[in-house]
Amino acid sequence: MNRYFKLVNFEFNRFLKIYLVLIGITIISQIIGVIVKSNQYLNMANDQIQGGSMSSSEFINQYGPISLYEIIQTLWFLGPIALCIVSLIIYVFFIWYRDWLGKNTFVYRLFMLPTARINIYFAKATTVFLMVLGLIALQLLLLPVEAWILQWIVPFDFRIDMSIREITGIFHYFAILFPNTIVQFIIHYGIGFMAVFVVFTAILFERSYRWKGILFGIIYGVLALLLFFAPVLLQATILYEFFYPIELLVLQMITGLTVIAGSIWMSNYLLNKKIRIW
Amino acid sequence: MKVNLNKREPVYVQVVRHFKEQIAAGNYEPGQEIPSRRELANQLKINPNTAQRAYKEMEEQGLIFTEGNNPSRITKDGKVIGTVREELIIQAVDAFITSIRPINIPVDDLVGLIKEKYTEIERNTRGDSNDRS
Amino acid sequence: MIEVKELTKKFGRKTVLNGVSFTAEKGQITCLIGINGVGKTTIMNAIMALTPINGGEILINGEKIHKHSYEKITFIPDAITMLPQMKISETMQFMADFYDCWNQKRADEILQFFKLREDNRLSELSKGNTAKVNLMLGLAMDVDFLLMDEPFSGIDIFSREQIADVFSSHLVEDRGVLITTHEINDIEHLIDKAVLLNNGIVSKEFNTEEIRENEGKSVVDMMREVYQG
Repeated sequence: MNRYFKLVNFEFNRFLKIYLVLIGITIISQIIGVIVKSNQYLNMANDQIQGGSMSSSEFINQYGPISLYEIIQTLWFLGPIALCIVSLIIYVFFIWYRDWLGKNTFVYRLFMLPTARINIYFAKATTVFLMVLGLIALQLLLLPVEAWILQWIVPFDFRIDMSIREITGIFHYFAILFPNTIVQFIIHYGIGFMAVFVVFTAILFERSYRWKGILFGIIYGVLALLLFFAPVLLQATILYEFFYPIELLVLQMITGLTVIAGSIWMSNYLLNKKIRIW
Repeated sequence: MKVNLNKREPVYVQVVRHFKEQIAAGNYEPGQEIPSRRELANQLKINPNTAQRAYKEMEEQGLIFTEGNNPSRITKDGKVIGTVREELIIQAVDAFITSIRPINIPVDDLVGLIKEKYTEIERNTRGDSNDRS
Repeated sequence: MIEVKELTKKFGRKTVLNGVSFTAEKGQITCLIGINGVGKTTIMNAIMALTPINGGEILINGEKIHKHSYEKITFIPDAITMLPQMKISETMQFMADFYDCWNQKRADEILQFFKLREDNRLSELSKGNTAKVNLMLGLAMDVDFLLMDEPFSGIDIFSREQIADVFSSHLVEDRGVLITTHEINDIEHLIDKAVLLNNGIVSKEFNTEEIRENEGKSVVDMMREVYQG
């Protein structure tokens, strides 16, 4: 257990520099986005009102007040989020493959540690998860700051203040990242975690059997997917409308946990019996 | 300490011979402390187990002795030292004769030649060793 | 004792090891010699459970390798196993964090012996010095068995001399050492036992002093018989 925590710490520190860069880009880009967009809006309002073509209430009627909702849908805002998501998806692969890369094959060291090898797998999964949660937390902290900047730039009459819940709920993609209830949170991130486990296992198939392993990995992924969605597939086909929604949810939780357990078992087997260091 | 080791002869035999030469030449004095097995192995770049074997052999032949946990020492027994010297001289002379006999040189000529060469080498090596010290 | 029994290993359809058996004793330096091929490194990897085997059995002190074995036996591959951006001090910290058998006093001593500074980064070191750090990481573990893959290959002669010095020093103490090499010159007088591999099997396994004593042959003579005969 002790070595597991040390491994998590080690893996985390290895990615920390890139991670901090991602955080920096997100903060800077989003805050610049808020400033640029609110200034654009104010400039437009000034042009119209100073130019005498309309009064401020006419302007608000015609163009509507500004809120974070508009700003969130710009590249300033979604760009860094997309960058973070893509980086973390690459990281899920990179966290394994870099140990085999280069002259200094760190994987020798990892596999000769006096600890169960599955701890390496758990440590890497934990690190990915911590990184994801960290970015989510960052976004949740940034939103109030950005709301405050908006309030600071744009006068009260020209803006609509939204709570974080309103912001995260109103925008479809955000609703996936920021579930409103604990149950939803567990479902969304449980599925995410399961996906990471499955991908990790597929990577270990490749690392154990190489070319053939790619095939095994893909087959494993497809089987995991089929198993996980089995209740939904049954519902949609032979058992048409057989389950209540709550039953379906419970069944999918069971299949999801089965996929996770299967991935851990399979990975443990591969790490102990089949893995190759070169 | 530098010893040129032959690759086809047991290393421990070569180490024992090296010690005999040093004793015979008087480079080791009776009762003088000798390096530990580990030190010797490190100095000669040989395996510590081999050094151990050489010491065991030398102890059996009475060339060195060890009291309790103290470092090993060269024997104080004058008779043993004398025998070592004699043994080495005879071995060397035997080897010399074996290689010179096929040439069929008269003994007197040979002795003269040996005297001449020997003093020459003596002179040179003495000069060398003076430089070194 | 490390016991390798009837070890078989295939890469695809190619059989690289075809029933290899030998032992390496504690307190002895055993040298695995082969003039070409991947067999030697594969044996090392197999002993450390870093590659699956197709047949046979490997025992360390009578038992199969498990997670705690890595506190008793360690392997020094021919490339260093730490990250290039790490400082020497950080590599030692890593070892101290993960291994109970890590001996920092000995590590410091070895650094001094090799004249290495611990605030150097691995990426800044010469080949020879990298090899020395690699060796240090293994030697400073209080393990019973030390495996080294080609410790002399690809480095300058002075580093080679220094590394050879280690074998006859107290740094090895009475541990068991198993090393692979394809050239024996640097260490002929340092090893207790030679295991000659040829075509995936052990052709000869002998004690070097015995072979000199009984047959008047050098290790190279034995190699000539196996590889040229």
